[in-house]
Amino acid sequence: MDINLIEFQFFLKLSEKLTAFTSFQLQGTGVAEAYYSTVKNVVGVTIFQELIDTFNKIQTDSDDETSLDKEIRHRILSNSKLGPVARNIIKMWFVGTWYQLPNYWLEKYGVSNSDSTFVVSENAYKEGLLWPTIGAHPMGAKAPGYGTWEDPPKIPTV
Amino acid sequence: MTLREINDVEDLYEYLYAAIQLEHATIPPYITSMYTMKPNSNLEAYNVIRVIVVEEMLHLTLAANVLNAIGGAPNLIKEGFVPEFPTYLPNGEEDFEVNIESFSPKTIDNFLMIERPAREYQDGHVPKQFTSFKNTSRKRILPTYISAEGEEKHFYSIGEFYAFIGEGLTKLSLKLGEEEFFKGDPERQITPEYYYSGGGEIIPVTNLESALEAIRLISEQGEGFEGAIYDNEGELSHYYRFEQIKLGRYYLAGDTAGNPKGKELTIDWDAVYNIKTNPKMEDYPEESELYEANVKFNTYYKNFLAKINDAFNGNPQNLIPAIGEMFVLKNMAYELIHNPIPGKEGVYGAPTFEVDKVPEISKV
Amino acid sequence: MSNDHSKITYTIDHSTASQKVYDVVIVGSGISGSILANEIAKEGFSVLIVEAGPGKDLSLTGYEKLLNTFYTAVTKDNNAPYKSNPNAPMPRSPKVQKARLGHPNTDNYMVQNGPFVTDTSYSRVVGGTTMHWEAKTPRMLPEDFKMRTLFDKGLDWPITYRELQPYYRMAEKEIGVSGNVESQEFKHLDPITKEFSETSLYADNYVYPMHQMPPSYLDKCVAKDINGTTLELDGDKKELKVRSFPQGRNGIPNVEYRKYNNGEVYRPVAAVSSHQAEIGERCQGNNNCTPICPVQAKYDARKTLAKALRTGRVDLLPQTIASKVVVNPENGRVTSIEYKNYKDVNSSEYESGVLKGKIFILAANAIENARLMLASGLKSTSNLMGKNFMDHPYLLCWGLLPENTGTFRGTICTSGISDIRSGHFRRKQAAFAVDIHNDGWGWATGSPYTNLLDIVDNKNKYGTALRKELVSQVSRQLLLAFMVEMLPETSNKISVNPQYRDRLGNMRPVVSFHVPDYSMEGVAYGRELSKQLFQRLGAEDYSIYDPLDYGYVNYNGSGYAIRGGNHIAGTHIMGTSERNSVVNFKQRSWDYDNLFLIGAGSMPTIGTSNTTLTMAAMCFLSAEEVIKDLKKITSKTEIASPIYNSISG
Repeated sequence: MDINLIEFQFFLKLSEKLTAFTSFQLQGTGVAEAYYSTVKNVVGVTIFQELIDTFNKIQTDSDDETSLDKEIRHRILSNSKLGPVARNIIKMWFVGTWYQLPNYWLEKYGVSNSDSTFVVSENAYKEGLLWPTIGAHPMGAKAPGYGTWEDPPKIPTV
Repeated sequence: MTLREINDVEDLYEYLYAAIQLEHATIPPYITSMYTMKPNSNLEAYNVIRVIVVEEMLHLTLAANVLNAIGGAPNLIKEGFVPEFPTYLPNGEEDFEVNIESFSPKTIDNFLMIERPAREYQDGHVPKQFTSFKNTSRKRILPTYISAEGEEKHFYSIGEFYAFIGEGLTKLSLKLGEEEFFKGDPERQITPEYYYSGGGEIIPVTNLESALEAIRLISEQGEGFEGAIYDNEGELSHYYRFEQIKLGRYYLAGDTAGNPKGKELTIDWDAVYNIKTNPKMEDYPEESELYEANVKFNTYYKNFLAKINDAFNGNPQNLIPAIGEMFVLKNMAYELIHNPIPGKEGVYGAPTFEVDKVPEISKV
Repeated sequence: MSNDHSKITYTIDHSTASQKVYDVVIVGSGISGSILANEIAKEGFSVLIVEAGPGKDLSLTGYEKLLNTFYTAVTKDNNAPYKSNPNAPMPRSPKVQKARLGHPNTDNYMVQNGPFVTDTSYSRVVGGTTMHWEAKTPRMLPEDFKMRTLFDKGLDWPITYRELQPYYRMAEKEIGVSGNVESQEFKHLDPITKEFSETSLYADNYVYPMHQMPPSYLDKCVAKDINGTTLELDGDKKELKVRSFPQGRNGIPNVEYRKYNNGEVYRPVAAVSSHQAEIGERCQGNNNCTPICPVQAKYDARKTLAKALRTGRVDLLPQTIASKVVVNPENGRVTSIEYKNYKDVNSSEYESGVLKGKIFILAANAIENARLMLASGLKSTSNLMGKNFMDHPYLLCWGLLPENTGTFRGTICTSGISDIRSGHFRRKQAAFAVDIHNDGWGWATGSPYTNLLDIVDNKNKYGTALRKELVSQVSRQLLLAFMVEMLPETSNKISVNPQYRDRLGNMRPVVSFHVPDYSMEGVAYGRELSKQLFQRLGAEDYSIYDPLDYGYVNYNGSGYAIRGGNHIAGTHIMGTSERNSVVNFKQRSWDYDNLFLIGAGSMPTIGTSNTTLTMAAMCFLSAEEVIKDLKKITSKTEIASPIYNSISG
């Protein structure tokens, strides 16, 4: 995949907003491309494109963080088509799992029968952002080393 | 730095400093090559290199034990301890350079050069004469050997370098008396409670026998025993471990050099992040997150070396938390390697290991 | 070091194995089977181990596959690293459903008659359930062996703590225990004087092979408020203290241990692998002891099994289910074991045959041992085969601490409260040990996944607000797990029913189970204590027990959700005669002289200790007996007549 693809860059920008992790951190996981492909495959190109376009317009339309937040809520998260997809992107970044979309969504917009709950890859599990968020590591991977658990957790401030 | 014939303890201190520096110098290239492999790919090659890295760390610790045993003090925080890549090996081999670069056939060839066995064996033994020394006129940043005649020479292999140290230890032990020579505080030794791994056992050094045993273990794990591909413990030496990656097949007990007969080792040379070879801080745009993250890595790495150094200088119990830092460093390295360098098409970042260019985080 | 570079085939195929007559045939490659195999093979005897699960896990690649299955499993239960194997099925906790009155629950491998439905699980794989054990290794207390005499409850063991002590030491060496003897020196009763004893549980200034696992930051925060809590229980005054638990995982060797290790510093055992991959050093704090330690710092039975296989006298026959123990009715001796060998987990095809040996050892676990004996039509004179089934009921209590103490760091559990393991109160209510969990509310609520879903789907947060909420919901989590004593009752049992079979036609275990009032009294007390402790800690109590929960038990007007402990025991208890027990204290069957039933199934009571260490100790004792038998047989091989008198009845 060409990671300079403009659409992928927008996917990263959207993910930055949704997760509060920087694009550097998101790419640092090594699974950004896999997530990009996963969403596209499961929800289909059209809806994915719509999500990206909507986000783009929101970015252009908003002058500050407050209005950006409002527009993300109004036009993406509360939108019955785009909201569940956006929430799934959040969950995927945080724990590496694609959760099956809600039934009403599938009935109305579902295009792919590959929509079930699955872990994107071994690495997706290991790179879940939930773990660094709480100053920990995924259970069973990226261990911090003998005795490190004696010290207080190092929880990054946001 | 220049080494000379070993005539007194001070000479040996310099040799052992070079040994520690040498063992460390291989680690950044080895781990970087591992970390450039894409997730879930090349697991076999990854494990082959990982075992070698684990053993290099053992060698580093063994060299520190020998130095401590004769009253020296390891120094991993001295300016210039971490070489600037590309570099020659600190033992004076200089017909090839050591690079920080992506996992590739060329990189493995380079690693094979690092671990190459001694060139000639006489009667199946490590040569007493350093016939392989050769003259050079190139400017060096790393130690060379100045012979009694004032000639500048170089070691051909790591094994030869250690054989030289072994001879020096024996000579001085005889000259000064074993007890007087091994006068270091035994409390400074790294003992098996503080260091163990699947990669071999740490040897606390208190006399000539244990010192030579440590030296023997280092050279044999590196390049085999008396020209065979396996060492005295039945472990495949580093050169041949790497060669398995080159040849795409595992060695089995009883195999001869160059003809592994084990199962196939599959490698996907394409499943690799293409990093900037021998990256430097200035390769990353200032203000970029990549730049910041690299500075942070170098600072952590510097701090990590300081902690190891503290453990080697009378606080062996501190080795365990220091080793824990390696997990943090690994994650930081991965983050760098997974990010493209802004403005450079298809070229990814990597840690630069420029510890002399950053301040320490904290005093240990 | 594990540096076998040569191609060693450890496994044997069934047609070759069935041609041989082994000195010993062992069913099960878990900790019991592996210890027995290794001890017996060291003495020069030949051993066959029959294992129901596939056998490739001894290589690092095989182990990495297990890990990857775990990483990509949507539900990360105890058996998540193993692909479903209908030929040798195993209990999976997520499949457990609430019992419907009058209908046995047959969905899961274990048929559950109720009334209590247990989510207890075990693994039918090479290494057995130690593959997913947490590796906590406390010893049982002297009083635990004398429950009937001291408290008029349960049963006495036919052996005392002091008699088992040397075997405990062997087990601690084999497993490689990291622990601090002092932390286990809480007040306990002397079984003779019946008063609290000042003597050490360990004697001779014993130390564990390795220093204790460092207590977690969470432990230390909890200890600040809990240490010094005083309470009075049935006349005994108690003062609580957070103490570290001994654990079977690699830590820092204790040089003092030399005197128990032939003058040598204990050498931790690295990962089991047969090919150029030296891993398995100190515990790195993966927080994943259960279900699988990624670096093999945790002991699992394959470490012992690998030693046994390297003797060259042990064959491992995987993918083979022991389907019948065959007895010669003339002399009551076991003659062979019938088996079913399958080629592929995805196919129901199998071949059958018989395996022959001089001595037979069933080491398949408390449920599978009893299941096999009953499926073979072999009851016991005492009629106790399969009865007295036990497992520690767990009560979980969870709350949020006032400060971020960090979750999902360290081993699953490093410390807890042990003071209520002992005391005169045991004549009235169950004792318990309390674990402080380093993995947050995971066991109780499915945290942190459930928190994430709640925050995104219900709390409608994203970005920075989401991250802050995650920290606030997860990083303050405290889960106390009360591991409650359970006593033997004959109505709690494993049986078989020809109606319920697995894919290969083997009868499945049928469990009839209720949590006895004695245990529930302990549960209720534990819940009250948890409230008191949360008050001291200033913690918000979030414990909630849903009446729809499969493990819901109503007791004295209050409801509790009980969880299984995976400490299955008691199904072939040991005792003093063929009338009161299935095996003697050496775990030899009273009825079939050349048959040993090994494992926690032989335990008449389980006290408040995780069963594995005691089970391992018993194995060393039994090994001595088996070896004695074999030496006798060997010295009399020329004599044609059977050397054992039949005791069959």
